[in-house]
Amino acid sequence: MMKLEAVIQPSRFESVKDALREIGVEGMTVTEVRGHGRQKGHTEVYRGREYTVDLLPKIKLEMVLPDNLVNRVVDTILKSAKTGKIGDGKIFLSRVDEAIRIRNEERGENAL
Amino acid sequence: MTTAARPGLNAGVPPSKNMQESPTPLSVLGPQAEAERQKIRQRFESGTSARETLHALCELADHHVRQIFDEVLRVQSREPVGLCLIALGGYGRRMLFPYSDLDILFLFGSDKTEQEFRPLISDFSRTLWDLGFRVSSAGRTIEECKRIEEDNAEFHLALLDRRFLAGDSTLFERLDEKVLPGSEKQARPFLLAQLHKLTRDRLTRYGNTIFHLEPNVKDSPGGMRDYQATIWLRQLAEEKKGIRNITAAEEEMCSSAVDFLSATRCFLHYNNGRNDNTLTYELQEGAAERALGIGDGVARTPSDWMRQYFRHARTLNRQLLRYLEQKAPVPLTLRQRLMNAARASRIEAGDGKYFQVRDGLLEVVDLSALSDRAITYSLFAECARTGTPLSREAERSIGYVLIHPELPPKNTEMAWEKLREILGSDYPGLALRPMQRLGLLMEVLPEFGLIDSLVVRDFYHRYTVDEHTLRTIEHLQELADAPDERGAHFIQLWKTAERRDLLILALLLHDVGKGMPVENHVTGSLAALDSAAKRLKLSPEERAEIQVLIEHHLDMSATVQRRDIFDPATVAGFAESVTNQERLQRLCLLTYADIHAVNPEALTPWKAEMLWQLFVATSNYFSRTLDRDRLHAHDEVSLLGRIKAFAGGGSSQEIERFLEGFPRRYLSVHSPEEIAAHFGLYRKLSEEPVQTQVAATRHGFALTVLTPDRPALFSTISGVLAGWGMNINKADAFANAAGIILDTFHFTDLHRTLELNPGEIARFRKSLEDVLNGKAALEPLLKGRVSANRGRVPKVTVETHINFDDSSSAHCTLLEIITQDHPGLLYEMGSALARLGCNIEVALIDTEGHKAIDVFYLTAQGKKLTAQKQELLREVLQGALS
Repeated sequence: MMKLEAVIQPSRFESVKDALREIGVEGMTVTEVRGHGRQKGHTEVYRGREYTVDLLPKIKLEMVLPDNLVNRVVDTILKSAKTGKIGDGKIFLSRVDEAIRIRNEERGENAL
Repeated sequence: MTTAARPGLNAGVPPSKNMQESPTPLSVLGPQAEAERQKIRQRFESGTSARETLHALCELADHHVRQIFDEVLRVQSREPVGLCLIALGGYGRRMLFPYSDLDILFLFGSDKTEQEFRPLISDFSRTLWDLGFRVSSAGRTIEECKRIEEDNAEFHLALLDRRFLAGDSTLFERLDEKVLPGSEKQARPFLLAQLHKLTRDRLTRYGNTIFHLEPNVKDSPGGMRDYQATIWLRQLAEEKKGIRNITAAEEEMCSSAVDFLSATRCFLHYNNGRNDNTLTYELQEGAAERALGIGDGVARTPSDWMRQYFRHARTLNRQLLRYLEQKAPVPLTLRQRLMNAARASRIEAGDGKYFQVRDGLLEVVDLSALSDRAITYSLFAECARTGTPLSREAERSIGYVLIHPELPPKNTEMAWEKLREILGSDYPGLALRPMQRLGLLMEVLPEFGLIDSLVVRDFYHRYTVDEHTLRTIEHLQELADAPDERGAHFIQLWKTAERRDLLILALLLHDVGKGMPVENHVTGSLAALDSAAKRLKLSPEERAEIQVLIEHHLDMSATVQRRDIFDPATVAGFAESVTNQERLQRLCLLTYADIHAVNPEALTPWKAEMLWQLFVATSNYFSRTLDRDRLHAHDEVSLLGRIKAFAGGGSSQEIERFLEGFPRRYLSVHSPEEIAAHFGLYRKLSEEPVQTQVAATRHGFALTVLTPDRPALFSTISGVLAGWGMNINKADAFANAAGIILDTFHFTDLHRTLELNPGEIARFRKSLEDVLNGKAALEPLLKGRVSANRGRVPKVTVETHINFDDSSSAHCTLLEIITQDHPGLLYEMGSALARLGCNIEVALIDTEGHKAIDVFYLTAQGKKLTAQKQELLREVLQGALS
């Protein structure tokens, strides 16, 4: 099992969600986050006050996937989240040792 | 003191050893009790009232409690001397719901009897558990009952509902007649204060509203706990001495509300098989299907049934709030007593003699005046204007008048002007909330009735549609008084928003379509606007503005969440759909309020920040692209028609010539009626080259000047205003294609010269016209005035920022100046610009407290300013403004 974390543009979230749903992935944790990588923030002045947005709004998706689905999900996110501009985000993958469904204590991929 | 541990309800635990020796074994008693319970349930399900059901459950419990108690004593060969059982709380007042706990107090005559009987208690409790009764027991000696446990007010409150069950009746009598009356009297202030606190905490936990989509019929506001808390408040306040009694009609409403809610709670217990009081969507369907609590057996839709639920919940909640509003009698220090006495005597007069402010609440002085609806509406307008809430007693008085036909109402129609006054105030929610509770809001705006107590199943929303709507308005009014971090950016938007009445009316109607059988609720809401606009006689412009706000009420939220708001193309596209700054401000506030009112967590700081960023980017887009979008009058057919109708003279061609080339923003800051008046001035230019007009406005005066362009015009007008001691708050300067300048200045009359001497207006205009026509000099007028103002030390210091922008406009250089506002400032800036040969093509002047925020579109000899000129201008302005 792999844990996938994707940080994407908020404006791409709906498309990513729809695309994932189309390939049968519905379970995910979504968090509103702020941050930046190479894409730096920007400054806007309004009525004499300077508003610096150095941490840009992003959406973080987290999901744990059975191994056989990982590549498909990654491809889907890449296709649906990409605009080609700086700031499109990143995908991180890491291995997961165990998953347990609290309700019935099922373990492993059955718990996903 | 002893508290018996509650044994676990475990089917595997055998009956207690002692009970196996009893003549009626548990194996017989258990099924008997269960069979009785089933009979009671069947009777309830066949239509027996909740009242009878609760009574039967209580009788069943009493019977088994006494029987088991006797058996336990018999087995242990004891007489119940010095021990009695007392029912407390809901069980004490015979309101025992199917899966409620049996609250039982073991009262001991002394520490010695407590020691002797302790083993008996656990035997007794366990046996009752085995019979399916959930016992929650406590033990106290009679001495302990004299003392007030400050960390356990709930116990003392439950003791108010004491009822003898079994055992030593003389012991109970001692407690009931001798011990408790004294200690309760002494502890009354403490208990009342605790009850106030516990109740307020509970109401706050549920957002202080009855209108939850899935309410808890016990704990939510309007639930059974409200009823119980009211009874305790009345009991503790010794009603006959303190609070005014409730009327028979109110008692009856209360009683039927209790019946309805009791039936609902029984239904929930039976369906959930446990003490779960959440009225879920599924159970709402079941309750509606059997017309639960209504009694006619005619199935309802869940929405209709929930409306009945909310009607009853509102009765109980209103009753409770009225009692809660009475002062909590906490022990007061001498200082507090003196302060309170001083405050009570400081009664401020309200509107005329009809109402007054006492203890921070508006009260009605002359009750007989309430049959005149115009006076009642004035009372609400006063709430909205001053932020003073209406007292519950005043609300009750209005409610009394409304439901008594023997008091025929006068002036029932509320004109748009009066409604505007309420909606446009700083605290509209303070008026609209009681108006809704009393049904007056639906009288004024019947369309709102479509969403009255309306449950729309949506996992995102937490409240009924009407509650959501009123919350949107309350979230906006909260911006007046230090909101949390999410609201910080939006404070100034709320304070400076123009035509807030239109925004609030849009909010009142934006979700009304949810109560209509239409596919898209916005379509329904727009239909509701149609009927409201006709009835209220809104002007076409007012109606059109509200229509846009309703039609696009989801756009800003959608843009924030689905578009890249840092992409200039997104901002430009959004700005084009919004069209002007004033609307952007209203739409932003509407979006902020709409998200905020969905549920307490819906507006995250993240979303608030995104919304703000989109607002700032769009607002800047407007001020930087002002001269791009020019008016081509020929295309504005309907506008031309409206202006012609108001103008009362002049041909269409003439109007077109006048309008041609003005920035489009001119249309958004002036109504067709005002534009028609400007056109009237334009037509007189051939007689007199300077046309002026002065009109009183809500916050001061507005001066309009129409004249062919000439050097230093803007600074000269500013100078005359400064010379007359006027403080300019806002101004705009536009020019049409023919070089006719239209400047509007909104100013406050610092010395009230014009206000106190209306004749001075003509002299002021003459003075201005003379200066502009070169018949009089400006300098003598300014002499002394500017220098006098210079000497004043500002309360707040604002740093000066001067920014040039060459990229936003095709043929102008934008100059944005942020600086400390002071009388004569605009004249100083305008003079500096004129001296350096800068021509003002467009100007937007605004103030925010002590801060002046001005944007000028400048040219020099018809071109953008050169870099050298910009630097020189910066230096000159820095020198003049520092």
